[in-house]
Amino acid sequence: MTFWQRLGRVSKTQSPIVFRWDLDKTYLQTDFDSLRGLVRVPFEKPQDKVAVPGVVPLIRGLRDAATEAGREVQIYFISASPAQLAKAIKQKLALDGIEYDGIVFKDQLGHLVRGHFRSLREHVGFKLTELLKSRRTVPAASREILFGDDWESDPIIYSLYADILAGRIDGEELGEVLRVIGVHPGLIAEAKELAAGAEHGDAVTRIYINLERRTPPTRFRSFGPRLVPTFNYLQTAVCLFADGYLALPAVAGVAESLIEDAGYTPSALVNSMADLVRRGHVPEAPSLAVRDFLTPRGLMPAERRRGLVAAVWHRVVRWVRQAGAPASPPIDAIDYHHLVTQWRALGGGR
Amino acid sequence: MPSIAVDAMGGDFAPEEVVKGVAQVSLRTDIQCTLVGNEQEIQAILDRVPYNPERIGVQHTTEFVTMAEDPKVGLRRKRRASVLVAARLVADGHADAVVTAGNTGAAVIACTQCFKAIQGVFKPALASVYPRQTEYPGQDQLALLLDVGATIRCDATELVQFAIMGSAYARHVSKVPNPRVALLNMGVEETRGGDILVEAYHRLKNCRGINFVGNIEGTDLAKGKADVIVCEGLLGNVALKILEGVAEVVVDLAGTARRESWRWKLGFFMLAGSIGRLRDLTDYAIYGGAPILGFEHVMIKSHGRSNARAVENAIKVAAKAVRDGVTQEIAAGIEQV
Repeated sequence: MTFWQRLGRVSKTQSPIVFRWDLDKTYLQTDFDSLRGLVRVPFEKPQDKVAVPGVVPLIRGLRDAATEAGREVQIYFISASPAQLAKAIKQKLALDGIEYDGIVFKDQLGHLVRGHFRSLREHVGFKLTELLKSRRTVPAASREILFGDDWESDPIIYSLYADILAGRIDGEELGEVLRVIGVHPGLIAEAKELAAGAEHGDAVTRIYINLERRTPPTRFRSFGPRLVPTFNYLQTAVCLFADGYLALPAVAGVAESLIEDAGYTPSALVNSMADLVRRGHVPEAPSLAVRDFLTPRGLMPAERRRGLVAAVWHRVVRWVRQAGAPASPPIDAIDYHHLVTQWRALGGGR
Repeated sequence: MPSIAVDAMGGDFAPEEVVKGVAQVSLRTDIQCTLVGNEQEIQAILDRVPYNPERIGVQHTTEFVTMAEDPKVGLRRKRRASVLVAARLVADGHADAVVTAGNTGAAVIACTQCFKAIQGVFKPALASVYPRQTEYPGQDQLALLLDVGATIRCDATELVQFAIMGSAYARHVSKVPNPRVALLNMGVEETRGGDILVEAYHRLKNCRGINFVGNIEGTDLAKGKADVIVCEGLLGNVALKILEGVAEVVVDLAGTARRESWRWKLGFFMLAGSIGRLRDLTDYAIYGGAPILGFEHVMIKSHGRSNARAVENAIKVAAKAVRDGVTQEIAAGIEQV
């Protein structure tokens, strides 16, 4: 599907849009990879918490673009952090000026009290059931875009959720997959019940996974073309622009944030975007539009000057390569048994 | 921060090991790299390893000179050969230095075609580093030998220029404050080796800024008597290959001995630490590569059999040479002479 066809498709379907965000490592730069960081997290004040570079202008841009298009938009956060952190996190979101429609935390204390120790570390059951519950509260025709990271099981959780909504996975298979993962039997039963009641439709259009751990992109191939692993939020923004969910000024806002808050250089941004194009997640046309918009603003370096013949030849080569590039394959049914085994063998995101 | 153009298609294990080396650099340093080669092949390799895309650019080209190809013919036919494109990126100011593990002849010709020679330099020199005995604690374990193949025969002036270039490089990259320079000869006496070497000896002896320690023989090459050894390309290349060959045979013999009998096996076990050190010392992956000197830009030529680690270290060497302004110092040295 070409860029223009994508734009056409999006402009025709004015269904409500839901953006669901994981919190730790996706929205917040939470340091739980070190013992020191783990101990510090509960005592962090809202102003001490740091958002992942580019995420704040991206979320604002998504809401603005949908609102401008006259589309109903909802933003939800889901976190496996204990509810005791809710106050600080909500204050942080307020400080960042992020408006949201719902936020869910995990009842870790409840698991502890009930003696569900395995559930303390296992998040698939919790997140999947919460996503399915939340789905019941949004308009039936809503389209969804999900944002997670490569630290835990977001790719599996989000893919399961998308396939349940699409009717590609039945209750029996879902139960079996969740059993293999080690989800608590109570949550498996709940998830199956929620899945059975879900209205079927290809609601989830994209899943973005923030490669915070620099997991090699090829490890996400089995999740299909719906899942896009991105190394930074410029890559995510460019994809969202290509899909028609974000305007160019918002992409520029993300680029500015990366430069100002995280010390990115204009050439680092160009390299990032080129990487996304090479990996086949975005066609060349929208990336050129982004470059044309960002270059005069000093956010990307000017392209190397070529002679007229070389420039024309370069365009022709690009056009031929793009024309010859295979279109995104349709989403096939994912073999979750194989995928879960493979994913676990690689140590989750690693 | 330096930007390095890397010939992704050059080397026995290219593009796999070259791309992996660049991926490692992208995660561990702030060096910007541009991989020059087949975009699809490069991305397919990157997809399988951890990397930081913000520090890696790709310049697409499908042409490259193979290791076995005649470099002159190869570069004449392939105007978009990866090594040539990489050198052009540097010449046009889009990168600061080139790293290649590919065909040595092609690397030298690419420099000649794309880079300006430093004013006053008559011939470029291909340098190589090799392991040697250390004479005092903290002494660099590697010595610099040049020329090892950019030239065949040289006159005295060219040998003096090699000494200046090697000295400047060793001062910055090998961190030897006052590198000792020697002429490789068939005897230590100043009258040995024929007219050219005798003239070079006298000129080096009177050359300000050069710490000339006289002639050294082949037997002293590995003994750490000098930090920079100067010779013509034919001689340097033969000397270097002998050193590499001997090191390989020693390690190989140790391996064979281990398989022979239980007593040798025991002996090998007891010597394992020393043999390991010898292997580390002769491992070209550790020192990465050596420069082609005499041009206004830096090109680091790494070993043809370079693995990812060797490529990573070659890129670091190139970045260091750029940061420390080695070419500018060479130009200043040549101007003085």
